[in-house]
Amino acid sequence: MLLGIDVGGTFTDAVVIADGRIAASVKTPTTHGQLLSGIVTGIDKVLASLDSRHIERVALSTTIVTNALLQGKTDKVALLLIPGPGLNLSGLTPEPPVLLSGYTDHRGREQAAPVQEQVAAACRDLTGCEVAAVAGKFAVRNPVQEQLVAGWVRQYLQPAYITLGTQVSGSLNYLRRVNSAYYNSAVWRIFARFGAAIEQAMTERAITAPVYILKADGGTLPLNAAKDLPIEAVFTGPAASVLGIMALVNEQTAAVSLDIGGTTTDIALWQKGMPILAPGGALVNGYPTAVRSFWLRSVGVGGDSYVRRENGRLAVGPMRRGPAMANGGTEPAVTDALRVAGLTDYGSLELARQAMQRVADCGQSPEDAAWQTLRLATATVCQAIEEIVSEQAIRPVYKVEDIVHSEKYRPELVIGVGGAAMGLAPLVAEKLQLPWQVPPGHMVANAVGAASARPTTEVTLRADTAQGFYTVPELGIKQQLDKRRFTLGDAWQAAETHLADRAIVDGTSETTFHSERLYEEEFNIVRGFNTVGKIMTCRLQVKPGVLSPVSVGEAGR
Amino acid sequence: MSSKSLGLVFFPAFDWAITPSHPERQERLLYTRDQIVEEGLLDLPNIKEYRPQLATIQDIERVHIGVPDIVSLITDAHLISAGGAITAAEAVMRRQVDCAFALVRPPGHHAMRVVHGTRGFCTINIEAVMVEYLRRHYGLTRVAVVDTDVHHGDGTQDIFYHDPDTLFISFHQDGRTLYPGTGAMNELGSPSAFGSTVNIPLPPGTTDDGLHYVLDHLVLPMLDDFKPDIIINSAGQDNHYSDPLANMAVTAQGYARLAKKLNADIAVLEGGYSIEDALPYVNTGIILAMAGLDFSRVVEPDIARCPQQSADNTRYIAKLVADWRQLWRERDIIRREAVAKAGDFWQRRRHIYYDDSGIQEQQQETVRICPHCHGYQTVSTQSEGYPSGLKSAFAAVVPRNSCKSCRNQAQAAVHNEKKIGRHDHYFLQDKEQDLLTRI
Repeated sequence: MLLGIDVGGTFTDAVVIADGRIAASVKTPTTHGQLLSGIVTGIDKVLASLDSRHIERVALSTTIVTNALLQGKTDKVALLLIPGPGLNLSGLTPEPPVLLSGYTDHRGREQAAPVQEQVAAACRDLTGCEVAAVAGKFAVRNPVQEQLVAGWVRQYLQPAYITLGTQVSGSLNYLRRVNSAYYNSAVWRIFARFGAAIEQAMTERAITAPVYILKADGGTLPLNAAKDLPIEAVFTGPAASVLGIMALVNEQTAAVSLDIGGTTTDIALWQKGMPILAPGGALVNGYPTAVRSFWLRSVGVGGDSYVRRENGRLAVGPMRRGPAMANGGTEPAVTDALRVAGLTDYGSLELARQAMQRVADCGQSPEDAAWQTLRLATATVCQAIEEIVSEQAIRPVYKVEDIVHSEKYRPELVIGVGGAAMGLAPLVAEKLQLPWQVPPGHMVANAVGAASARPTTEVTLRADTAQGFYTVPELGIKQQLDKRRFTLGDAWQAAETHLADRAIVDGTSETTFHSERLYEEEFNIVRGFNTVGKIMTCRLQVKPGVLSPVSVGEAGR
Repeated sequence: MSSKSLGLVFFPAFDWAITPSHPERQERLLYTRDQIVEEGLLDLPNIKEYRPQLATIQDIERVHIGVPDIVSLITDAHLISAGGAITAAEAVMRRQVDCAFALVRPPGHHAMRVVHGTRGFCTINIEAVMVEYLRRHYGLTRVAVVDTDVHHGDGTQDIFYHDPDTLFISFHQDGRTLYPGTGAMNELGSPSAFGSTVNIPLPPGTTDDGLHYVLDHLVLPMLDDFKPDIIINSAGQDNHYSDPLANMAVTAQGYARLAKKLNADIAVLEGGYSIEDALPYVNTGIILAMAGLDFSRVVEPDIARCPQQSADNTRYIAKLVADWRQLWRERDIIRREAVAKAGDFWQRRRHIYYDDSGIQEQQQETVRICPHCHGYQTVSTQSEGYPSGLKSAFAAVVPRNSCKSCRNQAQAAVHNEKKIGRHDHYFLQDKEQDLLTRI
């Protein structure tokens, strides 16, 4: 049995999945301020009639990190950077950094050495910071300077935790690594405390199964590993829904998915059965980070979106004025329109008609007002879909072949989940002239996603055979290689070995993992008229996804 | 520093090379890509990345006459780099961004109007294709192209040599010391377009000081006088002190300050072959400068290698600039004299060498000096090379806004030649109709 919990803004959902079916599910109110008590209540309720000893795995999607960041309940971070020449970083990081000397260039060659005395002096000024982050430009090409400086910081500042830029990402993009490392340290303590409380709660319930934390890219991390990378647990709510879709719908075609909640619709794009990732990473508090996340677009249309006339013009959302009138609210909402139009049978038809009467134009029937509302809501969602699809179609590529032979991205299916999906998703699909699916179990897609999410991890191996070394920044590895014999095949093989190592260290290898090649690059290094070596880059991941598909009775087509 | 919005078309063509060990190979912009991505420049809110469009054959033939045809001489990469320049320009024209940089390859400024093959790593002139696209689709007239590549932009000069509406300014390492050998001060444009071609041949060893002296005292005042609708920078980066193919001593700071002062609407990458030591830093500097951001920290790690400018060079450059200033002041008088002296037709014969394709071309151009319009031109060209063999063509070119008489004469000229039959191919390039016709 798999136990999945998704802490949302309003509700905490918990499900138990057994043999690919939802065995139990509950919704309890989220307890803001005391997150843990709501989680524990959810667990106790969903396990009420089940034997907790049969739980093999617990996966948790939580807002703890997102909320800490939103509310500024984070620690002051000593941010020490080795930026070398380039962009002036002032104003681009969450806190002003201390800039240290030293520089590693684009090929990982040391161009200037860091100075120990400078780090010691900086640490004296930073006394009082209990956590730190250290990041060097091009440390992904050679992590040695970053590690050296981090060692000095440990010695002089003695922080409770220190995040290295290479630890949060093995990809180029210094600014994103800096911001990721900063926020990782900033939320480290609050997450560590939360993790300890969860562990205690599990012990008290005699649940011995391993606990996993959902990440923004839909993968999971064992709780212990998540304590080192808490920033990965940001924005997991939408990720849980997307994963839920993956568990509930087994489609390989290009698709657009809509998670239609109370106030917003989250739009995601799919290719070959996988959601498309955000370029670069997630934006945290307005700062670009290296946190891998799904590429989502939120639009202010949901079941509870407030419907009214503004100077005679009908308007829908983005704000909410409580629940729909059909469900006992005081103001008209999209759900009322769905009820009156006969697209849902949830809530009071009489109250819904009153709601639509209130927004009806002179001489307009409640039914006509309902349909006008739905056309407007649908048009807003469709416009956002068109925007994100056209952005996907013009993503830059760097090869001739990719431009000449690129096929324009076009979704061929609409997938809806969430409260108002049954009503709204078919209308969106109709307007886009696409088929649609609303999978059974879509109301708890988020918790299903959390329960069945697979552990993921990745490594980036970059070999420079002219210099005779390769690096795996995520693991802090810089290793000699055979300059004459090392091939791209060897690079992939080494990447496989390191990925397996990382999976074991992280505890992510709970099931047989499928590695997936994400990216490959190979360049000849030509000096004069001779090829003096090759530069190879291999990125390999344990593929995100669901442990197994989940099926529920009948729902949409 | 106030930031501006910058459109960036980055296309490093990671799967394209002239030959595996050629300077124009896959690796050329690899380290530049690494630096740009590592700096996070593409995440800055005022920098927007665009994917290049594919230029069409019609876009290319608006400028070029390929012998036997342009399609057989180019690859998809050329359509993308020209398309990238067009994408950059359109982002500016549609006011999506304040300015744009097409950081694309392969380059184009050695490609002339008639194309037999590849020379100086260039097959089609991507700036010229972009300029004529803008004139056709956005109604621009006065265009200034400032070529800051170390090599003389002889292709761009050739294409606009008879066009008084295009001010082409090239400063470069003196042609007596570097490919392609042209770009002397006395190449000034054909009589009707006299003074719209400006060549500033600089001595080897010129530094940031010399370059900015030329910029401040000559190039910027010329641009003020010409009052262009748009300024384009052919942003070659091989004046850098570490460039392996040239001998100048300009730094990333020098280039970045140049980009800031020039304030070009559109910059297009040209040459630059110090792929590890210069390009990552120069491109970062140019991008930051064009985006109105602080570029003062963009300094090469090996900056100590950069030589100082000799006193001789400083004196030489001061005299060159003084001579040019005098010529620029007197350009209208000299133009009238040149037009009067030429009579109805002006002619020149040239020998053109295609180093990459191993082709020798002999070309004879005739320009009609017309009192009513820019006049038409005819070109007779023969080339010889291996394996291309012997090829010849005759073409007449009808420029924009040409008078009826010139149009008729141009058509008659090419039909006449066809009757005589001395050439293999006959073309009429009609810029008014936007058509290149095979006769």
